Amino acid sequence: MTSEIVMAADTALATDLMPALIFMVGGLLVPFFKGRAKSVYMLLIPVVGFLNLIHIPLGDHHHLFFGDFNLVLLHVDRLSLLFGYIFHIIAFITVIYILGFKNDVEYVAGFFYAGAALGAIFAGDLFIFFVFWEALTLGSVMLIWARKTPKAQAAGFRYLLVHAFGGLVLLAGIVFHYSHTGSLEMSLMTLSGPGSWLMFFGIGINCAWPILHPWLTDAYPEATIGGAVFLSAFTTKTAVYALARLYPGTDLLIWIGVGMAAFPIFYAVIENDLRRVLAYSLINQVGFMVVGIGIGTELAVNGACAHAFNDILFKGLLFMTMGAVMHRTGKINATDLGGLYKSMPWTCLFCIVGAASISAFPLFSGFVSKSMVMSAVAHMSHNPGQGALVFVWLVLLFAAAGVFHHAGIKIPFFAFFGHDAGHRVKEAPLNMLIAMGIAAFLCVFIGTFPQYLYSVLPFPVDYEPYSISHVLTQTELLFFSALAFCLLLLSGIYPAEQRAVNLDADWSYRIGGKKLYHILAGILNPLNTGCEKVVRSVASASAFIFKDAPARIALFVSVNIWLVFGIRGRYLELRKSRLYNDAMEGTMPIGLGAATAVGFFILIYILN
Amino acid sequence: MNPQDDKELMELKHDPVPGYKPVFVVVFTIACLYMAFILCHSPL
Repeated sequence: MTSEIVMAADTALATDLMPALIFMVGGLLVPFFKGRAKSVYMLLIPVVGFLNLIHIPLGDHHHLFFGDFNLVLLHVDRLSLLFGYIFHIIAFITVIYILGFKNDVEYVAGFFYAGAALGAIFAGDLFIFFVFWEALTLGSVMLIWARKTPKAQAAGFRYLLVHAFGGLVLLAGIVFHYSHTGSLEMSLMTLSGPGSWLMFFGIGINCAWPILHPWLTDAYPEATIGGAVFLSAFTTKTAVYALARLYPGTDLLIWIGVGMAAFPIFYAVIENDLRRVLAYSLINQVGFMVVGIGIGTELAVNGACAHAFNDILFKGLLFMTMGAVMHRTGKINATDLGGLYKSMPWTCLFCIVGAASISAFPLFSGFVSKSMVMSAVAHMSHNPGQGALVFVWLVLLFAAAGVFHHAGIKIPFFAFFGHDAGHRVKEAPLNMLIAMGIAAFLCVFIGTFPQYLYSVLPFPVDYEPYSISHVLTQTELLFFSALAFCLLLLSGIYPAEQRAVNLDADWSYRIGGKKLYHILAGILNPLNTGCEKVVRSVASASAFIFKDAPARIALFVSVNIWLVFGIRGRYLELRKSRLYNDAMEGTMPIGLGAATAVGFFILIYILN
Repeated sequence: MNPQDDKELMELKHDPVPGYKPVFVVVFTIACLYMAFILCHSPL
C-alpha cells in the first residue's frame, strides 16, 4: 500500500494533546502504580485533561492524512467544549468515588470509556467519530463484566451484541453518506438518503430510543457500583451530542423524544431494583434532550445541552448514592431496603439533593435546564401549523411529574425511609461521600447560579428561569405530584414492590427470539432431514447401479453372443464368472470393447 | 450479620392507612377547586 500516514499539527498547538489520549493512555498505566501513588495518579488524569482542554483554542487540530483522506482528530467548538467540560468533571468525581474499590479492571475500563467518549465528541469527521464510538462500546462492556457475576456476564454479552449491531449500522450509514457526498464532515444532515437514515438509526440505538432501549435497563443495573456511574454519564450523552451536531431541528426527534420521556415512567413505578429505576429515569431525561434537539431552535438546543450537562451530574449523584447503599448493605431492591436514613444520613441527604435536581425543584440544577426545553416547546407551539406541539408540551409535563414520582420520591423513600428493613450499617466511605458531596454541591450551585452554565452553552442565552410563572408552574406540578404519591400510598392503591421481572421490549429478542428459533427449527430441521434422506437414497441407489454396471453390461452383451454360438451349461457359468470378475477389476476382453465401440457408432449413425 | 439478611421479602405491600378517606376527599376537593380557579383565570 502506497498510502502514507502523516501526522500534522499546527506548530502553535504542538503542546495540545487529544483529551481522549490523556484518558486512554493514562488509564492503561494505572495498574503499574501502587497504594497512595495510584490514587494520586488516577486523580491527576482528569485534572491534567481539564487543564489541557481549557488551553485548546477553538478550531480543527491534529490532522491525519491517510491516502486521499484528511481526517481531523480534534475539532473544538462550543458544543463539543460543553460536553468536554462535563465529561472531565464527572470523570474526576467518579474517580474519587471508586478509589476504594481496588479493582484495576474497573479503573482501566473507566478511563478508556471516558477517553472514548471524549474522542467521539471532539472528532472532526465521521470516520474518527466512528472509531471512538466503537471504543466506547469496548470500555462500557468491560465495566459491566468487571462485576464478574453470571448476570453481569450475560447482560454484557447482550449489550455487546446490540452495540456491535448499532456500530455496524452507523458504519454502513457513513459509507453510504461518503459514497453519495464524498464528504466525511460532521455537519448538519437531513434525513434524505440511506446514509443519513442509517446513521440516524445507529445513533438512536446508543441514545436508547423506545424499543431500541432495553440494552440500557438490562445492562446498567448489572454493572459494578462505580461502573454504573460511568455508564450513566457517557454513552447516551455522546449520542445526544451526535444528534445535536448532526440532526438538530429534525421533526421526527420530537416524537421519539416524547416517547422516551413518557414510557419509562410506567416501568419505573413498578420496578423493584432501584438502579434499574434510575436506568428508566435516564431514558426519561434523555427524552427531554431529544425533544429539545428535535425542536432545533437556539433555546431548545441550549436547553437540551444544558439538561445533558445537569443530568450527568444529578443522575451520576443518584447512581452514586444507590451504589453506596449497595456497597454497605449488599442490597438494591426496594423490597430489601428502607430506614437507612439513620445509618447513612449523609448519603440520604445527597440522594435528596439528586432527587430534587432531577425533579427540577427551583434552586436545583434540573430546574434551570428542563424549563428551557419546556419553554422552547411552548414557544414553538404558538407558531402557525405547530399546534401539535401543545400535545408534546402536555406529555413532557406528565413526564416531569412522573420523574418526580419515581426518581424524586420513590428512590429516597424506599431506600432511606419507608419500611425499616433492619439494616444497621456504617455511613458510606469517606471518598464516596466526598464524590457525592461535590456532585451535590454542583447541582445546587448550577441551580442557584445558572448563568455560569448558560455562559458555556452553544448559543448565546437570553433566558430567565426564575420568573414567577416558571417557579409557580413547576412548584405546583411537584407538590401535586407529591400529594398524589401520598394519597396513593395512604389509600393502599400504590402498587406493591415485587421481586419480579418486568417484561419490556427486550422480550422480543430474549423470549420471542427463542420462540422464533424453535418455530424455525420445527420447520427447517424436518426439511433438512427430508432433503438429506432423498439425497442419501439417490446416492446409494446410484452407487448400487453404477458399482458393477460395466460388468453387467459386458455380461449382457457377451452371454447373448455365447448363446448364439451354442455355449451352455457349466462352461457358460464359468465364462460368466470369469468375465464378471475381470470386468470388476477393470479388464475387459479386447473384442468386447471393440464390439461395444462399433455398437455405439451404429447407434449414433441410426440416430442421425 | 443482619438477622434479616437471610430472608428476602418477595413483596412489599402498601396497606391503606385507617382514616385516609376523609383526608383524601378534603384534599382532592381543594385540589379540584384550585385547578378550576387556575383554569378560569388563564388566558385562552
